[in-house]
Amino acid sequence: MKLADYFEQSFSNLWRRKLRTFLTTFGVIIGIGALVCMIAYGKGIQKNISESFTQMELFNYISVFTDSALSRFGLGNSHEEIETERRSEAILDEEVLEKIKRMRGVEVVFPDVRFPASVRYDENEEFVLIQVLSSELASSRLIKLRAGKSYVSDRENSLIISDSLLHRLKVKDFDSVLGKEIVVSTLSFDFTQINPLDLPSLFQGERLPFSKETYSFKIAGIAERMGFGGPALLRSDVFVPPEAAKDLKKLPFSNLWDLFRSPAGRQGYSLVNVKLVSPRFVDPVTEEIKDMGFQTFALMDQFEELKRGFLIMDGVLAVIGMIAIVVAALGIVNTMVMSILERYSEIGIMKAVGASDKDIKKIFFFETSMIGFLGGLFGLALGWIVSLIINQVVNAFLTGEGVPFIQFFSFPWWLCLGAVLFAMLVSLMAGIYPAVRAARVDPVVALRHD
Amino acid sequence: MVNNSSTIIETEKLTKIYTMGKVQVVALQDISLSIPKGTFVGITGPSGSGKSTFLNLIGGLDTPTSGTIQTQGKVISRMSNEELACYRRVDVGMIFQSFNLISSLTAVENVALPLLFAGVSKMERKRIAAEVLNKVGLGLRGGHRPLELSGGEQQRVAIARALVNQPDILLTDEPTGNLDSKTSEEIVQMLADLNKNRSITVILVSHEEGLINKYSDTVIHLKDGKLVRQDKIR
Repeated sequence: MKLADYFEQSFSNLWRRKLRTFLTTFGVIIGIGALVCMIAYGKGIQKNISESFTQMELFNYISVFTDSALSRFGLGNSHEEIETERRSEAILDEEVLEKIKRMRGVEVVFPDVRFPASVRYDENEEFVLIQVLSSELASSRLIKLRAGKSYVSDRENSLIISDSLLHRLKVKDFDSVLGKEIVVSTLSFDFTQINPLDLPSLFQGERLPFSKETYSFKIAGIAERMGFGGPALLRSDVFVPPEAAKDLKKLPFSNLWDLFRSPAGRQGYSLVNVKLVSPRFVDPVTEEIKDMGFQTFALMDQFEELKRGFLIMDGVLAVIGMIAIVVAALGIVNTMVMSILERYSEIGIMKAVGASDKDIKKIFFFETSMIGFLGGLFGLALGWIVSLIINQVVNAFLTGEGVPFIQFFSFPWWLCLGAVLFAMLVSLMAGIYPAVRAARVDPVVALRHD
Repeated sequence: MVNNSSTIIETEKLTKIYTMGKVQVVALQDISLSIPKGTFVGITGPSGSGKSTFLNLIGGLDTPTSGTIQTQGKVISRMSNEELACYRRVDVGMIFQSFNLISSLTAVENVALPLLFAGVSKMERKRIAAEVLNKVGLGLRGGHRPLELSGGEQQRVAIARALVNQPDILLTDEPTGNLDSKTSEEIVQMLADLNKNRSITVILVSHEEGLINKYSDTVIHLKDGKLVRQDKIR
C-alpha cells in the first residue's frame, strides 16, 4: 500500500463515522488545549521574569550585606559561623562604598535606604516606603519614566512617584500632577513627649514618643511600575534625592533590626547595591567584596536555582494538563476498539483479498494519528484562544488596579510544534492495542461474521 | 511429494482439527489429492463435510493442523502470515456465498481492493477495476454500492474482484448459495468460461450436485472431513 492510500483509507474510515470521530478528536482537543495553556502559562511567567530581569539589568547587581543584616534576611551561613564572624563585623560606610566603586567592572554603588512615610495628594493618603536614590541613578535607564523627568540634583526638593501609587491616590490624569506639590509625612522621635510621670503607659506602648513631620515635594516625574520586578533593588513607589532626604526628620533606621546594631556603636548601611557594567564581573567583584569581610548576594548566582524552579513549575503544570490527555487517550482506545467490532467482517475481507497484518495495523495507526494530528492542531488553537481570553480578562482587572499590561502566556515555536507531535504520539500509543487486535482478526471467523 | 508441472495444487495428509474448549473437532482428515492446472474441480458433500475448510486452507486463509499444501511449487502450509497475505493477493482469487463486499465502497472500489494492497496507484487501480468490471458485464454499475445491486450483480462484482490480480487459481465457496437458479447458472457459466478461455483453475464448492456435475472436470466428494470419492467427469 502506498502512503497516500493509507491517508485516504484512514480519512474515509474516519469520515464515515463523523460524529464519533468528532467527539474523540474533541477529547484530544480539550486535552492538548489544557496542556498547552498550562505550559504556555509557565513559559509566559518565566519569559516575563527573565525579560524583566534582563531589562532591569538585575543580573548586573550584587547586594552587599554586613553579617548581621545577612542573618536577619535568613541568607547567611550556619548560626555558629555567623556568631563567629559577627565579632569582626566590617562596617558598610562611605569609605567602603568608595573602595567598591573603584573596583574593575563596577558602574554604580548605592546604599539601599528606605524609610516609612505617608504620601497625601488632595484628600487621599497612602502609606509607602520611600527609597532614597541619587539623581544620577534616578535619571538613568534603571527608572522607566512614563511622564515628566527625573530630579536633576541630589539637593532638589522633588520626587519621582510611580503610576500605581498615583492610581491609588485616585489621580486620573497623570500629566496634570507634574510640577504639582505633594505632601510627604514622616515619623521621628519626640523626646518632649516622654513624661517621667507617665512611664508605665510609655512602656505599655500606649503613648509612643513619636511625632509626625510634614514636608512638601514637587512631583518631577512619574515612573512606570513593572509587572514583574524580581528582587526590589530599585522598586519603590516614591524616590527622593539623598540630600533632600537628609533634611527630613525621620527615624534613624528603616528596620527594627538596625536597633540591635546601634548599641555597639556600629555605623554605616546595612545594605548596599552594586551595579556592574556586565554580569561577567559578578564573580571577581563578589570575590573582592567578600575579602573585605562582607557578604554578598547576586541574582546571577541564584539564576540556575531559579531555572530549576521553573522546570519544576513546568513539570507540575504539565502533569495537570496530562490528566486531560490520558482521558483523551482512553477515548481513542475506546473508539478504535468499537471500530474493530464494527469493521470486523471488513477487516476479514481485506485480509482475504491480500491485506497483510502490517497493512491492517498501519491503517489503524494512521487513523489514530490523524485524530491526534487534528486534535493537536485544534487543541493548540483552543489553548491559544483560551489563553487570549484569560489574558484579556485578567489584564482588564489588573490595569484597573494600576498594573501595566502583562502577557501571561507565551507560545514558543517548540510548544506549538511539540503540542501537535505530542498529540500524535499519544494517539499512536493509544492506537497500539486496537491496531494489534485488528491485525490479529482471523479472516475465516471474520468472513462468517454478520 | 511429487511436483508434476501440470499439477497446480497438491495436498498430502491434510488435516485440520479445531479445538473448542476441551472438545476437538476434526474438520479434515488426511486429505491427499492433486489438482491439475487449468481444470474445473467441483467439491461437494453434506454440511460439515469440510468443503469450506478445505477451500480456506487452499486459499491461505487458514493453516492446517498437519499435512502439507503445495501450489505451483510453494509450500503454503509453511508460509508466514506475511507470505500468506502475499499469496492471497497474487496467486488466488476467492469468491464467497455471501459475496463479502464492503458496503461503504462502490463496485469499482471493491474490485480495486486487492490492487490497493498490491501497491498499484490510484489511477491505475480505477482503470483496471473498471476494465474487469466491464468484462463481467457491469461496466455501467461501477459507481454503485453493493446495496444498490442485485444478488447476481454483487456476485459478479465479487468475481471481478477475484480476477483483478489475474490469479491462476479461483476458489469459489458456494457462489450460488444466495442466488436464484437462473442467476446461479449464469454465474457458474461465467466461471466455466474463465476456466476455458483463460485457463484459470477453478475450484467450485457447492452442494448443488447438478451444477457441479454439469461444469466440473473432476468432482471430489467429502464426508465427515474425509475424501470419499474422486470422480473424473471428463
